[in-house]
Amino acid sequence: MIPLSWYLLLAAALFSLGLYGVVARRNTIAILMAVELMLNAVNINLVAFWRYMTPDRPVGLAWAVFVLTVAAAEAAVGLALVISIYRSRDSVVAEEMDLLKN
Amino acid sequence: MTPDIPRSWVLALAPEISLVILLLAVFLFDRLVKPTERRRVGLLTAWGAFAILLLTVGIWLVGGEPSTQTGLADSLMWGGMIRSDGVSLVFKLMFLVALAASSLISLDVERLQRGEFFALLIAATLGFSLMAASADLIMLYVALETASISSYILAGFATEDRKSAEAGMKYFVYGAFATSVMLYGMSLIYGITTQTNLYLVGSMVMNASSIPAEANAVLLLAAVMIVAGFGFKISAVPFHFWTPDIYEGAPTPFVGFVSTASKAAGFAVFLRVFSAGIFGAPDSSSMWWAMLVAMAIITMTLGNFVAIFQKNIKRMLAYSSIAQAGYAMIGLVTMSPDGSGATMFYLLMYLFTNIALFGVVMLVGKETNSVEMDSFNGLSRRSPHLALVMLFALLSLSGIPPTAGFFGKFFIFKAAVDAGLWWLALVGILNAFVALYYYLNVVKCMYLYRSDEEDKPIPVSRAVKVGLAVLIFFVLYLGVFAGPAFEWTREAAGAFFALAG
Amino acid sequence: MDPTIDQIIFLIVSILTLGAGFVVVTNRNLLYSALAMMASFLGVAAIYVLLDAGFLAAAQLLVYIGAISILVIFAIMMTRRLMQSTETSFNAQWGMGIFTALVVFGLFVAVIGNFWPLAPAAGQPLASGTAVPDGMLQDSIAALGRAFVSVDAFVIPFELASVMLLAAMVGAILVAWPKAEDEV
Repeated sequence: MIPLSWYLLLAAALFSLGLYGVVARRNTIAILMAVELMLNAVNINLVAFWRYMTPDRPVGLAWAVFVLTVAAAEAAVGLALVISIYRSRDSVVAEEMDLLKN
Repeated sequence: MTPDIPRSWVLALAPEISLVILLLAVFLFDRLVKPTERRRVGLLTAWGAFAILLLTVGIWLVGGEPSTQTGLADSLMWGGMIRSDGVSLVFKLMFLVALAASSLISLDVERLQRGEFFALLIAATLGFSLMAASADLIMLYVALETASISSYILAGFATEDRKSAEAGMKYFVYGAFATSVMLYGMSLIYGITTQTNLYLVGSMVMNASSIPAEANAVLLLAAVMIVAGFGFKISAVPFHFWTPDIYEGAPTPFVGFVSTASKAAGFAVFLRVFSAGIFGAPDSSSMWWAMLVAMAIITMTLGNFVAIFQKNIKRMLAYSSIAQAGYAMIGLVTMSPDGSGATMFYLLMYLFTNIALFGVVMLVGKETNSVEMDSFNGLSRRSPHLALVMLFALLSLSGIPPTAGFFGKFFIFKAAVDAGLWWLALVGILNAFVALYYYLNVVKCMYLYRSDEEDKPIPVSRAVKVGLAVLIFFVLYLGVFAGPAFEWTREAAGAFFALAG
Repeated sequence: MDPTIDQIIFLIVSILTLGAGFVVVTNRNLLYSALAMMASFLGVAAIYVLLDAGFLAAAQLLVYIGAISILVIFAIMMTRRLMQSTETSFNAQWGMGIFTALVVFGLFVAVIGNFWPLAPAAGQPLASGTAVPDGMLQDSIAALGRAFVSVDAFVIPFELASVMLLAAMVGAILVAWPKAEDEV
């Protein structure tokens, strides 16, 4: 018997880790990995809510599958962009993208 | 076993289904045309979008659907995934216009003459139009991601241009981050209410007995996180970081598209989500309302003041578009049919204005290989018609009659005053004066300054001419006969608020 | 209160998941980060099993570990010259990053813990998984499949997801295609 809040806390911790990675990392591939951690955290939330609150309707499960699909598409596009930028600049470090000055 | 699908469900999705067909047709056509005639792919997209526009209007006029009289239960379709109401119709038409106009503008840009570019534009349009119609968090998320993923690629489309690749990468990083934050917020909403349909969630949240009072803190947290995702779409401060970089680096015709369609879609979900009351009743009593007002004020002010110092016209227009999002947010925070209608009218006029503006920027940029302010010097002598288009577009953005922008601002400020938010209207008006400075600065470059190349007119193809002429016609038309159009959007926005009563 | 077996399993899996996640966001070597990410995904899959979502656990293995991680490792290898760089892999905001992450986590714990009690008494709602008949959980995969194609459920987002995957596929190929062959 595991209380629902334990799952939610695990998700919150994983989400915060991902958040830290997005803010602190320089390499765009590392940022992408951190975003994937955040999406996993959301999925833990969704599946936990499904199991504890609506086990009779597959809403949370379906949502989690959509998140999975989107994450795959996002990863493909993101890594394609990384490779494209690497070809032209030999660098995938976010801070060195300085042609467009902030 | 054939499922029993009501005719109205299919009719409500007819534009989206047609968009998918057009998407496949573009892929096929791209394989069939000779490489030298690639611009015909763009023409096909524009004609296709125009045909779908006629189809949508036809269904609306002939079938009388969606009607503002339809009750909530009847307008929710496909298992409550989408809602077919006046609002989704208005936005659908906007996105189709944006698609047609953007493809006309892009078909002469050589590096964009590929079937994939137009196919992705269509996919993004599909996402936007389902975003505006979605009445369910899951639907909203999938539609938003469809639009976003297509947009990331479009921003990085010109791979041989380093700036474009960089713009795509930045758009992707910020976008993926913002949507995952938003998604976490959405999952909390599901956790509190066990529902994902916006209207079911809304009725539960507004009905005090169905969820405990402690849920308010969780709801506020969810509201902040969801606003981060939507704020990214409309480029509201503090979620605006990406805007100048993406506007500068991405292909210009796409910038015209993303600055109007993406912003409109963001406002559509903003309006729908908040008026459905999923964070609490849609009035000025809640914490999130104060947050939105603060965002509106900061967005307007920061956008306008930073825009003054820009030398690059695309960056200037980026900050201008941030400021414009701030004005449109005023209509949103009034939380009334008048205000929401005014926001929708504002987005409509912004659509015509900004795509025309970026059309001219594209033409000038292509000819002079520069989008600095001084490449517009002497444009009135070089290409008087283009200068005129630019002039009207800039007047419209700054809100000077006889252009649509004047009424856009007028309706917004009037709705704010009617709702008792006169101070917010005042901030808006003061901001409009600041904005006047940098818009007229461009006009000054075009009409007063001279350049060495005044005898070389900028070549414009017929398709682009037609596109720009139609856009400017609507900018002026809405500037003179704004009444009926505003009535239309206001009545459509009524659908948001009818259900509360 | 003595911890039960599944609580102990949960704690071990959580520590594994979070520890791996920590390595993902802190390790300087990207390849180690990617491997740690796979471990973290594996932990999440175990969490799904604890939540009786076997199908999702399988999908997690296939999509996240099988596809996304491999993709990430490919990308790291293709841009591998970067991994030899000895400079710090963190930007100047890392201090702010720690601060933000801690504040956000604290906020989550406060808000979520307030609404869903952290240590509920045995009788309280949501103290343990809602007791449902085994049949319902076993049927959930079939129900999920039906929901995806039912006009009264998720058929529209399901179809839209296919368009999204098409757009992503076309776009990814286009963007990553070598430029020298662009004109072909």
